Amino acid sequence: MNDELSIDWTVDELMITSLSATLDNDDQACNGMASFIPVIAFQLARLTHAPDLVWVASAIGLDARPERVPASTLEAPLWRDSIMYLEQYSTFWDIVLKGSWLQKFCVGAAQLDRYGNGNNSVIGDDYHRPKVRLPGTAGLGDMGSIGKRLFFWNPNHNPRSFVEKVDFVSCAGWLGGGDERERLGLTGGPELVITNLCVMDFHPETKHMRLKSVHPGVTAEEVQEATGFELLIEDSAVPETRIPTIEQVGLIRDVIDPDGMRLREFGR
Amino acid sequence: MPEEKLTSLKEAIGTVPDGAIVAIQNMATQSAPMAAVRELIRQGRTGLEVVALVGGIPIDLMAAAGSMDRFTGAAVSMEQFGLCQAYRSAVESGRIVVQELSETALNARLGAGARSLPFLPTRGLIGTDLIAINPDLLMISDPFGGSDVVACRALIPDVALIHCHRADRFGNLQMEPTAVWPDIGIMPKAANKVIATVEEIVDTEALRNSPERTFLPGFMVDAVVEVPFGAHPTSFNPRYGYDTAFHHDWIAVARDPEGAKLWMERYVYEPETQDEYLDRVGGANRLEELKRWEITE
Repeated sequence: MNDELSIDWTVDELMITSLSATLDNDDQACNGMASFIPVIAFQLARLTHAPDLVWVASAIGLDARPERVPASTLEAPLWRDSIMYLEQYSTFWDIVLKGSWLQKFCVGAAQLDRYGNGNNSVIGDDYHRPKVRLPGTAGLGDMGSIGKRLFFWNPNHNPRSFVEKVDFVSCAGWLGGGDERERLGLTGGPELVITNLCVMDFHPETKHMRLKSVHPGVTAEEVQEATGFELLIEDSAVPETRIPTIEQVGLIRDVIDPDGMRLREFGR
Repeated sequence: MPEEKLTSLKEAIGTVPDGAIVAIQNMATQSAPMAAVRELIRQGRTGLEVVALVGGIPIDLMAAAGSMDRFTGAAVSMEQFGLCQAYRSAVESGRIVVQELSETALNARLGAGARSLPFLPTRGLIGTDLIAINPDLLMISDPFGGSDVVACRALIPDVALIHCHRADRFGNLQMEPTAVWPDIGIMPKAANKVIATVEEIVDTEALRNSPERTFLPGFMVDAVVEVPFGAHPTSFNPRYGYDTAFHHDWIAVARDPEGAKLWMERYVYEPETQDEYLDRVGGANRLEELKRWEITE
């Protein structure tokens, strides 16, 4: 494998390679709607370090082989070419809920708090008369509670999406921190948060979100400014996120996503 | 002879009363029974509780038309086309009440409905705020001594509206290649009535050539109506893709009640037949484009 580092990588590619690095050869992964970055990360992993990774596209198409990333990550062009179609009620959820498979789940949420609780339901104090009605919890409300390892991605790191306290918990993270999740009998939980500025994880004891690495050109202070709560910054010299290789960048640009669908997630 | 189920859209939808619980097959921009939804709106139905896994444009149109008071489901979004704005403003102003469920909780509610059980449990949603606000969800202890689960009360829709690839006149329904769309695995089985629109009516003998595609037997289906392109503007794999321009057209007026009204006149209230509707959305040329799945926008 060619490990030479890219000199013209862009942040979308950096987010994709960071997410791709979390996937192992014996993993299974699935995606939901408007999930360009995970969908590309799964395909990149399969084409590089994790050739046996099984991707269930749109939670329907097992081991899907789309020619290119289409404008929707739910529609048939993504999953038509598969080796099995999973029917949602009887097959997909049985496989997910059994627990042995699909252990990692990529999550996008409109709001995320310091303990990795996610909100895709409402903005505002009153759930029944919200300031903004968001799409709804869909599969997140399940994945946060059934023992999955959660990997969040957010291409637009700002204080409106990283908040002190989410207005509504529609995806269970580390709840109030510490062992609160464990006391409810929940396993799994948030592990990593990948944004356009940095990579964050969670302190093993307090479950407080912690700066793990900053992307080249970004400072820890800039990340803190873009975050609506006090980030845990343990080290005065925060490491830099590993940048993509020439091979990875080539695969993303020329093979997996030649139409640049991944850029649609930015600037929202 | 089995009972004849073939009927007209007007007659089939005419049996759905105001205030009914109506389950709708849909997944963002995919496979919604749009002709049936337009007929519901045209007939002036009000007070509906609409159930969908992930609702898209049919929910937005029904919200704009004032057909529905409640939404029960896992999400409402037109994915690549963004949030449903008419629905959104109706929820924000309190006109529509939402019962937001995770996918397994909705499956459990419908599964209990299908199996004549008072509830089914799920482990989803534990730790979220979605349980306490919902009278149809309750944390209960495991009678066998394991950890707590969420009891999800049975949901029995009065009617399920679905769109399928083909059927015979007795209501035996087929999907191509199989019933892969996320909600039809359980929704029509939970409902008291099923109204199906289909791309084509075929002879029963034709169904015998591919029985693996039949997913609902005729005795569970109350009405079947032939409506080619009945899912437009949503996609209907493998036959046709979603209509990008049409979605954008709606989004441009969805926030403006006057503009939405004019749009509804043109595409919902005025066309009395599916042929008239298809002419207004661009006719044969446009439909040919959709069959080629030209959907990169």
